[in-house]
Amino acid sequence: MSVHVMYYGMLAEITGHANELWISDENLTVGKFRSQILEKYPALREKKFKVAVNQKIAEDFAPIDPSAEIALLPPFAGG
Amino acid sequence: MEKIHKPKKVFVQGPISPEFVSKSIASHHSKTGIGAHAIFLGQIRADQKESGTVTAIEYSAYEEMAEHAFHEIREKAFARFELTCMHIYHSLGTVPVGEISLFVFVSSPHRRAAFEASEFVVEEIKANVPVFGKELIGENGAYVWKENS
Repeated sequence: MSVHVMYYGMLAEITGHANELWISDENLTVGKFRSQILEKYPALREKKFKVAVNQKIAEDFAPIDPSAEIALLPPFAGG
Repeated sequence: MEKIHKPKKVFVQGPISPEFVSKSIASHHSKTGIGAHAIFLGQIRADQKESGTVTAIEYSAYEEMAEHAFHEIREKAFARFELTCMHIYHSLGTVPVGEISLFVFVSSPHRRAAFEASEFVVEEIKANVPVFGKELIGENGAYVWKENS
């Protein structure tokens, strides 16, 4: 499966791009995706981030369907 | 009958001007059921960092998700407090120190609801809206990423 992943704020600096197509040969949950992404970008291990699936913060057990829009969100700083 | 609150445009480019705030106040002149307005203005602070003094914050956002989050906050506030109307504006892009980056404006028949709703809305925005901020430091392009506490 392949899903559209977006990186925001400092996370885009670490990964070196604002978005990418994520290819996985198995069905993904948020938790599985999280461990794959930490493997690809080890520097993310030191950063706090949340994963949004289709614009909602998602827990690790949540499944990711192939048409999902994933976003990695660093700590919020609004206001 | 349940009122329906349409999603509103929240983001503005750059600082929010005092003129904009005063025009917003004036536009409530005809809503004579209102007895109390509460306004919260977030201003960029010249924080001292290890590498120097903050000169501005450069805001970015996951805009589609943020607009949904603002809408949900509005819905919750209307459900929880006796409000006549509510406006939220947040800056994107660069806002220099001393300028306004957040404008929350709630109106109610009575003061208690206005006070409480304004605090509720500001805290919800800080915690739940995907807005990101780079604190720019000095003149040499240095920065640190801001994190709400």
